[in-house]
Amino acid sequence: MMKDSDIERMMDLLPGEEKNPQEIAGEHLETDPHWRQIEAIARMIRQEPSVEPPVSLGERIMERVRAHRPSIWTAAGEALLRPRTASVDPLRALRSPVSGKECSFYFIMVGVFYTILGVILMIGLHRLGTSLVTPDWVRWQPQIALVTAGCMVAIGLYLLKDGKLALRMARIGALVYLGFALLNGIFVPLEWDIPVSAALSLLSTLVGVPTGIFLIRTILNYGKQYA
Amino acid sequence: MKQIDEGEIIGRVLGGDREAFSILVDAYKGPLFRLALRMTGSAQDADDLTQEAFLRAFQTLGRFRIGERFFPWLYTVSLNVIRNHLRKARALAEGTAGKGLPESTDPRDDPSAAAIGREQGRRLQGYLLRLPVPVREALILRFYDGMAFEEIASVTGDTISSAKMKVYRGLEKIRAMMEAEGDE
Repeated sequence: MMKDSDIERMMDLLPGEEKNPQEIAGEHLETDPHWRQIEAIARMIRQEPSVEPPVSLGERIMERVRAHRPSIWTAAGEALLRPRTASVDPLRALRSPVSGKECSFYFIMVGVFYTILGVILMIGLHRLGTSLVTPDWVRWQPQIALVTAGCMVAIGLYLLKDGKLALRMARIGALVYLGFALLNGIFVPLEWDIPVSAALSLLSTLVGVPTGIFLIRTILNYGKQYA
Repeated sequence: MKQIDEGEIIGRVLGGDREAFSILVDAYKGPLFRLALRMTGSAQDADDLTQEAFLRAFQTLGRFRIGERFFPWLYTVSLNVIRNHLRKARALAEGTAGKGLPESTDPRDDPSAAAIGREQGRRLQGYLLRLPVPVREALILRFYDGMAFEEIASVTGDTISSAKMKVYRGLEKIRAMMEAEGDE
């Protein structure tokens, strides 16, 4: 029985492209009947005449390509899975022009943050619900975080289109976000009269306001390319 | 086709110019059709699978990394489409093996030699179809497409050693089948 290493060496001697059989088989293998059978089969396959595809095949493929309309989910999936390169430097983004891709990245990251926050709040408030009475505005916090996340990701994806309209949308989105972060910081302690609410509100404002300012600043720097 | 051209064409397609995709279709429809034909033994299936493979490639073109070679990527997409088809169709009836093959362009001048060649081709296709799919793939890529083992490994996801072993096992099985049927 042949060893694997011998088989691998034999396979190296059988080139895929057309070669002179004498050249293929080394002298030591030329006399081996088993090798000669294997070599003959390989040569037979290699010498099979080529088959051409039907003439109309290319046109039929293109008809399907032209008619292809991806579903919203496929398009969203493709947009998210498409490899992109963007240099990310938040400090630089505050003072010098940034690309649409970089700007998009920051919005999507804020979206990811609020998704996680929304899930944590949802779990936390669910557990809290049985032991503490929470006002409506506080009970809506997880949903507010998730909606914010959705809006941020949507704006981020739209920014990938790298257009003026996307820029305007992002600017409005960032301003609304900043305003909302401030209002939320005021409403929560007003609505929820427990000692910890002031701390929570402060924390939420400390995260929301600088993020909002950062996004607005980035958007302004991104807009410089259209100035 | 030069790699730089492919990168440019793919960039155009991703930018919304669907017609640019026809350049890639024209360049690669032949190899993809032949691959599907050898894998399935049916011209009709090969036609459908080639269309499907190009459509899949078009849909997932965004995942292709510009700078890499397009052909191996397209081959991998095509092999996945063919594997799925074969999995669904499962076993091809041995009796139909080779019957769906279109007439090939036989370079032999002598009509009787050409007829013998065609018959040999049908028998060979029959043997190929009786091989396990991964072994069949390796043999086709190596001897019909003339790929190097490194390329076969990258297209099929095997190691180079494994690709070589598959090719050997394929040739050995064909040899055994030929011997069993008294074919020379």
